[in-house]
Amino acid sequence: MKRLFKSLFVVTTCAVLALAVVGCGEKKEEKKAEAPAAAAPAPAGPKTIIFASDATYPPMQFMNEQKEISGFEVDVIKAAAEKGGFKAEFKNVAWDGIFAGLASGKYDAISSSVSITDERKATMDFSDPIMPIEQMLVVGIKDKATDLAGLKGKSIGAQIGTTSYFVVKDVKGFKAIKTYDEVGLAMEDLVKGSIQGVVADSPVAVEYTTKKYADKIKIVATLKSDKVENIGIAVKKGNKEVLDLVNKGLAAIKADGTFDKIKAAHKMQ
Amino acid sequence: MSETHIIDVGEGAAIPSRSDWGLFNAWTISIVGAVCTIAYLILFEPSPYKRIIFYLADGVIITFEVTVISIICACIIGLITGLGRVSKNKAINLLASTYVEIIRGIPLLVQLFYIYYALGRLLNVHDLTAAVIAMSVCYGAYMGEVFRAGITAIDKGQTEAARSLGFNTKQTMFLVILPQAWRTILPPVGNEFIALLKDTSLVSILAVSDLLRRGREFSSETFLYFETFTMVALVYLVITLLLSKGVSLMEARLSHYVRH
Repeated sequence: MKRLFKSLFVVTTCAVLALAVVGCGEKKEEKKAEAPAAAAPAPAGPKTIIFASDATYPPMQFMNEQKEISGFEVDVIKAAAEKGGFKAEFKNVAWDGIFAGLASGKYDAISSSVSITDERKATMDFSDPIMPIEQMLVVGIKDKATDLAGLKGKSIGAQIGTTSYFVVKDVKGFKAIKTYDEVGLAMEDLVKGSIQGVVADSPVAVEYTTKKYADKIKIVATLKSDKVENIGIAVKKGNKEVLDLVNKGLAAIKADGTFDKIKAAHKMQ
Repeated sequence: MSETHIIDVGEGAAIPSRSDWGLFNAWTISIVGAVCTIAYLILFEPSPYKRIIFYLADGVIITFEVTVISIICACIIGLITGLGRVSKNKAINLLASTYVEIIRGIPLLVQLFYIYYALGRLLNVHDLTAAVIAMSVCYGAYMGEVFRAGITAIDKGQTEAARSLGFNTKQTMFLVILPQAWRTILPPVGNEFIALLKDTSLVSILAVSDLLRRGREFSSETFLYFETFTMVALVYLVITLLLSKGVSLMEARLSHYVRH
């Protein structure tokens, strides 16, 4: 008898839980359906677009001493916001997981030197290209290697989830390919001698080899690619509203020379 | 089925017999659940999950290596620290206490960064070595406290009896006190083992290719965050459960040995 009660109890609990879950799911869907209708008449004044940036990527985006996200791409977006008629707000988000946050709607766009790739295009939409970049190989100042092949049997590093990592991950012959959370940590490891090479985006490679560690590391090669690598602003798939605003702003600053001025101010090639 | 509570009179307290639920306990449910989920996902959803598990495989080995080596080193450091903490020699006592105070006051994550990046400029250690050193030094301090507590928990009469039988201090400690202290020490030490295993996930910040780092590499490339981290969590769960079973088997053995 007791056993019967027990199983009855279990069955009812499961049923109630299942109903609760289904109920919640339905409610959420209803809310979702209502949301756009409610939001539509709201916009008064410029729309605020929240950009996620991994501020560990000098000179593109980094934290300055006033604890503000600054850098070349940040200035570009701020200028584009002025011309495009939106307000840009920046949020510091760790690179690893930045795309997951976009997909779950924690922010509207990513401005973090994101290279436009076909794989990424499958899960998100991109603005018009901001500028082309290249992948560069950085080694210790005394190293004689001149290309990736020269580092066979050694360890190399790159930032996790970046195109820099993707170009080396399938190259065979390295002792280890290490992935770092921040490109700065990879450079630090290179200076220290734990790894013998770092692959990074050209602006970052130039920054580290000319400023921070000018006397310790150097660029030896540009890794050839059959496709031009462009960086752009990523938005959630189908978010045309934000994409149009960003594209409008970018087109405007490129047309009137503001973009070139910012480039010159940051001494970008 | 009538619900009988078997009262073990000899033990003094009324403890419901463990056999009541048979195999239906938390550990079995968790391990069977985790293993079945992994097996199901690999067999019936091979498109991401089989790829994920293959990608994670060498990470599991690294995690296991770091855990085992750190456990051994931490036990040795912990034993030395524990003995230092109960030592009558003031200098040794002070040294051991200071070590424990300093290490306990610094988060493990900061210690990892410190040993690898800050001290790295002076002595260039390999990333795995740095990880093992940081884990051992940190958990050595925690275990030192556990050892100290276990040793001081043994009745003073034991020491007095041993000494009056002609044992010297060293013999008293290693032949009389420590063998008894093991029984009290083992359960908390087992907890430390499991905590250590889970904390090895922190070493991924040194770009050590452990289980978590491999998961992050895979997910950052494929954007399969849900699938990857489900797998990572399940694999951690299985390893932790196996370790906890090992510890409780050891406990059971020790208590058996003591009772009879």
